[in-house]
Amino acid sequence: MYGAGVAFQPTSSARGSSKEKKRRDEDEEEEEDDNEGKGTDAWERAYADERSWEDLQEDESGLLRPIDTKTLVHAQYRKRLLLRSSTGGSVASRIQKGLIRYLYIVIDLSRAASETDYRPSRMAVVAKQAEAFIREFFDQNPLSHVGLVTMKDGLAHRLTEIGGSPEAQIKALMGKLECCGEASLQNALELVHGYLSQIPSYGHREVLILSSALTTCDPGDAMETVQRCKRAKIRCSVIGLSAEVFICKHLCEETGGTYTVALNESHFKELLLEHAPPPPAIAEYAAANLIKMGFPQRGAEGVVSICSCHKEAKVGGGYTCPRCKVRVCELPTECRTCGLTLVSSPHLARSYHHLFPVAPFDEVSPHGRPGQRLPTTCFGCQQSFVGQGGAQPSLRTSCPKCNQFFCIDCDIYIHESLHNCPGCESQRNSSV
Amino acid sequence: MKLEVEGLTVYFPYESIYPEQVEYMRELKRALDAGGHALLEMPTGTGKTAALLSLIVSYSIHKSFKFKLLYCTRTVHEMEKTLAELRLLASHLPTPTSLLALGLSSRKNLCVNPHVLSAQSRDSVDAACRRLTASWVRSLAHDNPQVPTCPFFESYDRAASAGPDTLLLPPGVYTLGDLRSFGRSKGWCPYFLARQMIRYANVVVYSYQYLLDPKVATIISKEMQKECVVVFDEAHNIDNVCIEALSVSIRKQTLEGATRNLTQMSQEIERLKATDAGRLRAEYNRLVDGLAQRGNLAITDAWLGNPALPDDILKEAVPGNIRRAEHFLSVLRRLVQYLKSRLLTEKVETENPVNFCAAINSQAGIDQKMLKFCYDRLHSLMLTLEITNTDEFMHIQTVCDFATLVSTYARGFSIIIEPYDERMPTIPDPVLQLSCHDASLAIKPVFDRFQSVIITSGTLSPIDLYPRLLNFSPVISRSFTMSLTRDCICPMVLTRGSDQLPVSTKFDMRSDPGVVRNYGRLLLEMVAAVPDGIVCFFVSYSYMDGIVNSWNEMGILQDVMQHKLVFIETQDVVETTLALDNYRKACDCGRGAVFFSVARGKVAEGIDFDRHYGRLVIMFGVPFQYTLSRILLARLEYLRETFQIKEGDFLTFDALRQAAQCVGRVIRSKADYGMMIFADKRYSRHDKRSKLPGWILSHLHDAHLNLSTDMALHIAREFLRRMAQPYDKTGCGSKKTLLSEEDVMKMSEGAMDTY
Repeated sequence: MYGAGVAFQPTSSARGSSKEKKRRDEDEEEEEDDNEGKGTDAWERAYADERSWEDLQEDESGLLRPIDTKTLVHAQYRKRLLLRSSTGGSVASRIQKGLIRYLYIVIDLSRAASETDYRPSRMAVVAKQAEAFIREFFDQNPLSHVGLVTMKDGLAHRLTEIGGSPEAQIKALMGKLECCGEASLQNALELVHGYLSQIPSYGHREVLILSSALTTCDPGDAMETVQRCKRAKIRCSVIGLSAEVFICKHLCEETGGTYTVALNESHFKELLLEHAPPPPAIAEYAAANLIKMGFPQRGAEGVVSICSCHKEAKVGGGYTCPRCKVRVCELPTECRTCGLTLVSSPHLARSYHHLFPVAPFDEVSPHGRPGQRLPTTCFGCQQSFVGQGGAQPSLRTSCPKCNQFFCIDCDIYIHESLHNCPGCESQRNSSV
Repeated sequence: MKLEVEGLTVYFPYESIYPEQVEYMRELKRALDAGGHALLEMPTGTGKTAALLSLIVSYSIHKSFKFKLLYCTRTVHEMEKTLAELRLLASHLPTPTSLLALGLSSRKNLCVNPHVLSAQSRDSVDAACRRLTASWVRSLAHDNPQVPTCPFFESYDRAASAGPDTLLLPPGVYTLGDLRSFGRSKGWCPYFLARQMIRYANVVVYSYQYLLDPKVATIISKEMQKECVVVFDEAHNIDNVCIEALSVSIRKQTLEGATRNLTQMSQEIERLKATDAGRLRAEYNRLVDGLAQRGNLAITDAWLGNPALPDDILKEAVPGNIRRAEHFLSVLRRLVQYLKSRLLTEKVETENPVNFCAAINSQAGIDQKMLKFCYDRLHSLMLTLEITNTDEFMHIQTVCDFATLVSTYARGFSIIIEPYDERMPTIPDPVLQLSCHDASLAIKPVFDRFQSVIITSGTLSPIDLYPRLLNFSPVISRSFTMSLTRDCICPMVLTRGSDQLPVSTKFDMRSDPGVVRNYGRLLLEMVAAVPDGIVCFFVSYSYMDGIVNSWNEMGILQDVMQHKLVFIETQDVVETTLALDNYRKACDCGRGAVFFSVARGKVAEGIDFDRHYGRLVIMFGVPFQYTLSRILLARLEYLRETFQIKEGDFLTFDALRQAAQCVGRVIRSKADYGMMIFADKRYSRHDKRSKLPGWILSHLHDAHLNLSTDMALHIAREFLRRMAQPYDKTGCGSKKTLLSEEDVMKMSEGAMDTY
């Protein structure tokens, strides 16, 4: 199945990102592992590839066949895209979105996190996906900040200060993976509330709770804390790993967040990544205000200077604050000395697309309407729509603005990574 | 919205309607058209009450209010819910209709006089009211303004006497609270106002007793005309209500109290002889004339009516030897003495009423006819003696009820004397019970008198047994299923523990430590996997005590409490209410809780565990009745002889309806979801399982019939994850579960085409 998928992927030159290559490499490595797995004895293999029956489904005639993951993924993607554009209003009415987000991720490390209904354990799955999420989050929201909080033994503990560096966060998380005791929602909310109420008013305060536990052991009335969070305009979202809990639902409804429960690991990943794009701004905050920002210059190679973040001398690299000339290691951040928000212009540009998303493409039936001639190749990757050897033609879509046709893989690429429609862009160029 | 049901315009208070509600209305209309009785089963949470009320009220509008709706509920809480639904409906009716609907309850719930309300029990509130409003008290107060009367009743009486048929209550829907506040604002007594107004009301909502218990029914519901539609809601236990209405039990305390009452009355008679002998003579003359009851009693003087059914009361003069008050008292004394001697027995005795009457005749010299008139004679005497503190005279009243019933009915009753409780043979607690076995006796007058009687509930399965138990022939009897957008109920039959050994509460297995441990493991696994609230039902209090005790010793309870708090129902109402309150709190704040309760208990009957208050209900065992109980044995024998119902059939039916009732607590609407675990190997047998209601059976897949703990756990996890996903409430395509006005129109057109 994977092999079939590769053939339809856009050329690597189009995608090109090193990350993508890396991921593909990992896939291949996994495949090799599988091949090795087949060499082991039958009793050992049983655990390596568990629940193979779940990859089967029954069709109308009662025959068993493998689940067509690819079409499933495509259908899910289309659904998500349409959903997003419908909830976010039509493209024309541009809604405000909070681009500068201050997000605390609360990770549940209570006893329930050691359960093994997710393999190898809930905790490991959460940590793995959280890592991916943090990377994706900074990729999509370069102006935002993330902090980590853990719940265990009935207490909430701040793992990392809120900051702009993905690496530091991930490192801190991976070092602290052990679980015991109860979870306390109230303690976690109180802690986060204490930190988030200090941040500047233009920032959007958010909490994302990854909850394994079905109970919360609180010192007081959790309802009051929910109300306090609501008053402090903290948007709380929860992703549960096992079942719907009333208090979490109540929390999300009150504070305007979303509450979802994961079915399995891939669903969990999907739900988590839905939190990466910025949510619509809360109406009270929608008042536009100006934020003073500095665009520091990159320091020259070979210059030795003391950086303000690590308090040590470094050679080359780094950035210099335009106001107080202090050196910082990475962007975006806040200057330690003068408090200026430091960003680079690509960061701003990358946040920009959230405000002007590419319109969702219309689905076109493979045979087209009568009397209409359809192009046989995708406008994006130039590959033929008709599969090799007369296979069933794959799904195709068309941009409502420029009416160019795209294959589903290019569609995904355009909406998820590129954020520009090649058809519309080339038209503009030709008209100029 | 408005919709057409077979040519009748039905006003429905909501914007959309479930398909089964339309079905339900159609069947109901057919029953009303045919003028017969109906038996309808529809699961809870499908808007039964709304469908019922809107169809009957619309039907009544169609017939220009020629008949009245008598809606019987079991509890005051349900009464209020029904009236609230009715109010919503009233606001959707076409404007010129003047609907008058009200609830009627006891004085305790309706009284607004603070002096009267300070009394605790229902009986003492009644007595306190009577002390202020009895006709002789009022006439005394007329002469002497020092005598206290009730200002609310007096002003009500003035308003009512202005014209007998003036409508005192403007049209509208009145809950008990509304009646009270209306009474307060006008200064009228709400209780008597309601009593008066039920004659004119279009809809009356009251308790079962007001129709089924002859003692109350003769007073309250006497004047209802034939063209009434009677609805019994939540009627799965109606046979028990009927039986209780005609059963009397006498304990030692009752007889001692009766002796005290007799002494008091004889003193009163002596006093009266000295002061006002004329009154006693007048009573005597009246009795000679053959009037047991004084005609035209004031509304406030009417006490409890005759315990026997109206048709069975003798229309004769009171026999000569009890016409004089002293003579009657000596008869009663002899009767009480005789009953006391019977209570001294060492062994359990069962007797039929004929033998019992013969024994009374030979040993105490009281013949059957005198016994029959006991009730009427006592009532007359109490009025003559002008006794107002009726609550203190309850004991002698009970004895007279007993005498009248035992002499009136030869069949369908038996007298059982037990010197001690079966379960505690060391503690002497003698009780003499006159128990009725025939549920059809009490309900027969209702079926005979009223045009249509609708019996409806969420659990009436198997539906063919009710007509036999109640001895009537319904024109419509149907069971509806629920249309659901998603499979939001998940019944499972768990037959084995995690060690694959069978689990059951069968008598020989229930104390097996392996079974106890397996049940404990089941609970432990479930508390870890299910969020918020879990409800557990056990077969009896003693079994619950035993198993909780063993769990405590095994350490299972401590493990359970790591995940959820544990609350237990007790026989004390206040304690249980407190436990329920805290249980809800624990579910709200996310701590999670388990509630241990007993099938047939108060919680199983009246408390809802909807939404997060009950995500899972576990029924430990099959809740059979205590089969060694004499009363049950006598009833089973009677059922077999009279209605040809086999003992086993009845017991299974009774146990399964209790089980269905218990698990039905957890789902109260379609948006809700919940799991039900029947933890007993006997549930997997066809004869047991098939007696569950259709809406549970239709979700009970074959794969869920014979589970062990670990399989159940896996299913539970999957189910909870699936249910937590967002879903579309209206359903789609052919599985549409929420119909708008157009949909209903289309549906009825479609139905026309197929005819």
